[in-house]
Amino acid sequence: MNKIKLGIIGMGRMGITHFSIINSHPEVEIVAVADTTKMTLDLLKKYVSGIQVFKDYKELIETSHPDAIIVCTPPNLHYEVCKFAYERGIHVFAEKPFTADVHQAEELMNLFESKGLVNQVGYVNRFNDIFITVKNYVASGLIGDVIRFKSEMFSCTVSKKEESESWRSFRKNGGGAVYEIAAHAIDLVDFIIGPPDNIVGTSMNQIYSKHVEDIVSSTFLYKNGCSGTLYVNWSDTSYRKPSNKLELLGSKGKILADQHGIKIYLNEDSESTKYKKGWNTVYITDIFTPVPFYVRGNEFTRQLYHFADTILGKEKGNLCTFKDGYHAQNIMHHLFIDAQKNAIIE
Amino acid sequence: MEKIDKIIFGDNQFFGINHMSQEKAQQLSEKFFQTENIYKVYDLAFKSGINAVMLNSNDRAKEICEYFRSNKTKYGHLAWYPSIPYPHKYANMVNEKGIFPAINDVLFSNNSALGVLGMVAKGGMAVLGKDAIELMKMLIDIEVKMYKGLDVKVIFIQNIIVDLLLGYNVKDVFYEYCNYIRKKYNAIPGLITQNMPYLKSKLEEWGIEEVVICSSINKIGYLMSPDIQSYLDAIKNNNPDKYQLMAMSTLASGAIRATEAYEFINSLNIQSVVFGASSEKNINETVKLIKLGEIN
Ligand SMILES: NC(=O)c1ccc[n+]([C@@H]2O[C@H](COP(=O)([O-])OP(=O)(O)OC[C@H]3O[C@@H](n4cnc5c(N)ncnc54)[C@H](O)[C@@H]3O)[C@@H](O)[C@H]2O)c1
Repeated sequence: MNKIKLGIIGMGRMGITHFSIINSHPEVEIVAVADTTKMTLDLLKKYVSGIQVFKDYKELIETSHPDAIIVCTPPNLHYEVCKFAYERGIHVFAEKPFTADVHQAEELMNLFESKGLVNQVGYVNRFNDIFITVKNYVASGLIGDVIRFKSEMFSCTVSKKEESESWRSFRKNGGGAVYEIAAHAIDLVDFIIGPPDNIVGTSMNQIYSKHVEDIVSSTFLYKNGCSGTLYVNWSDTSYRKPSNKLELLGSKGKILADQHGIKIYLNEDSESTKYKKGWNTVYITDIFTPVPFYVRGNEFTRQLYHFADTILGKEKGNLCTFKDGYHAQNIMHHLFIDAQKNAIIE
Repeated sequence: MEKIDKIIFGDNQFFGINHMSQEKAQQLSEKFFQTENIYKVYDLAFKSGINAVMLNSNDRAKEICEYFRSNKTKYGHLAWYPSIPYPHKYANMVNEKGIFPAINDVLFSNNSALGVLGMVAKGGMAVLGKDAIELMKMLIDIEVKMYKGLDVKVIFIQNIIVDLLLGYNVKDVFYEYCNYIRKKYNAIPGLITQNMPYLKSKLEEWGIEEVVICSSINKIGYLMSPDIQSYLDAIKNNNPDKYQLMAMSTLASGAIRATEAYEFINSLNIQSVVFGASSEKNINETVKLIKLGEIN
C-alpha cells in the first residue's frame, strides 16, 4: 500500500496535537485539514507546505479523497462527520466522547463494523503503559476476582465562572465534566472490568458551570456481585493536569494505580509474577516502552500509530474501537438518566 | 558558540513536579510554598560551586527573579537559563476560551505586558493571525520580561512546544526563533525536546547551528524517543561547536542511583547537565559525581 492519505477535521487543541504526532509516521501523508476558524486555516496554509485547507469537511473529503480521517470537532459533530466518511469508505479515528448521543454511537458502530472500515475512538488511557499493565494483571488473575473498585479523575479544566460560552458549556454539544473528563475514568472501568449491569446513586454538582456538571459521582453494579464507584471533578485546582486514579480490591489482593505507577498488595506470593506477599511498587520507569515520536505522552503517539498501522494491515485495530466508544457512551447515557431520577424528591 | 555551564541547577523540585510520586511532589510543594525555603536551597547549590540556574517562567518565577535581581552584589555572577513558556498557564486559558481568544488575552488584555498601546501599534489579532512569527516574538517578549536585568545565557523553549512544532516540520519557526533570541536578547537559543536525535537531524538539515539542545538522557532510555541507541549515536557524532547538548532527567525520576547515572553521563560527549535536588547532601553528592569531559 502507498502512504495513507490522511485528513484531520477540527484543528483545535486536539487536532493540533494529532497533526504533529501522526505527521511523524513514515507511512502517513497528511493531505488536508478542515476547520471553521479562518485564522487557523490561514496560519496552516501559510506555514505548513503540502496540505490543503477547507472550511467545510465535506469539501475536504470530496476534494482530497483521504483514505482516513481523524475527527477532532466538538463531540456533537462527530456523528455527521463519521457518517459522511462511512458513506465514502473512509477509515475513521474519532476523538472521545465518541458522540453526544448513545443511539448515534450505536449506529456508527454497526455501520463501520458492517463495512469492515478501521474505526477507533480516542480513549487514550488504553494505550498508557500503566493502565495496560493493570489490565493485564487483573486479567491474569493477579489479585483474584475483583470485588470492589474506585475510578477517579481530577483536572482543573474549569477553574472559574465562564465569561463566555463554548461547546464545553452544553451537554448537547458534548460538554460537561461527564463527557469531557469522566469519559476517560468510565472507559478505564470498561477496559479493565467491563461495562456495569446497573448504575445507581448518581449525583452531580456544579461549582462554576451554569449549564453542565462540574462533579459527578456514581455507583456501578455487576451481576457477579462486583461493584465500584466513580468520582470525577473537572474543577479541582490542586491538579495541574488531568489525573486518573484507580483502586481495585480483589479476592487475592489489591492494586492502586495512577500515571506515576502501580502499588500492588498481595495476600500471598504470586507464582506467575515476581511480586511478593505484601506491598510491591511498580514505577512507570519499570514498564514504559518508548515511542517513535513524543509530543505529549507515549499513549497519544501509540494510539495514532495503532490507527495508522491497522490501516496498513500491521496491527489488528482492536485496542479501542467504535464498540468501546459505544460502551462508554451507553454508560454515560445511563449516568444522566440516573442523575435526573435521583434529583427528584417527591 | 559561547560555552555553557557544565552544571545547571533546575527548578522542578520547587514546584511540585515529581514524575515518580504525587505524594513526594505534594510534600515538596508545601515545603517550598514559602519562597525563603527556595532561596535556602539555591544558596546550598551555590555553596557547592554551581553558578547557573534554569528557571521556568511559571507564576512564581517572577518573584524569584526579582529577589536575585535586587541582591545583585551577592548573586550578580550567576548565569541564567530561563525556559519558556509555563505551559499550564496557557493550557488553562485555552481550556476556558479556546486558542485564539487565549492568545489575544495574553497579548492584549490591559494587564498584559504589551497593554492596549501595544495592541494598537501591532494591529491586533487580525494582523497577527496571518503572521505566526510576529506572534511568536510577542509571546517570547512577554515570557522573557521577568528575567530582565539578569545575566541570561540561554533561552529555552519547553519541550511541549518544541516537539509539537517539530511534528509540523516547519523550518521558519525554528529559524526565526533562534535568530530572535540571538539578536534581541544576545543569548544562545535553546530547545528542550524528548526527540533529540530527530530534532538534531532536522536542525542540521535546515542549517540551524549554535543551539543548545536539552533532552532527557539516562541509562534506561526513559523519555528518550525513539530509543536509547539513537541517542547514543547522535551524541557520539555531535560536534559541540554546533550543538551543545544538555542532559536532564539523568536519574530517570529516581529509577537510577546517582553514582550509576553519572558514570553513564560522564562517559558521553555531553556538554552540560541540569539537575534538581533539595537537600544539601544530594546537591553536594551530585556536583561531585558530574565529571563532564574529564573522561573522554
Ligand atoms: N483524548 C483527550 O485527552 C482529549 C483531550 C481534549 C479534547 N478531546 C476531545 O477532542 C475533541 C475536540 O476537543 P478540543 O479540545 O480540541 O476542542 P477545540 O474546541 O479546541 O477544537 C474543536 C475544533 O473544531 C472546529 N470545528 C467546529 N465545528 C467544525 C466543523 N463543522 N468542521 C470542522 N471543524 C469544526 C473548531 O473551530 C475547533 O478548532 C472533543 O471530542 C474532545 O472531547 C480529547
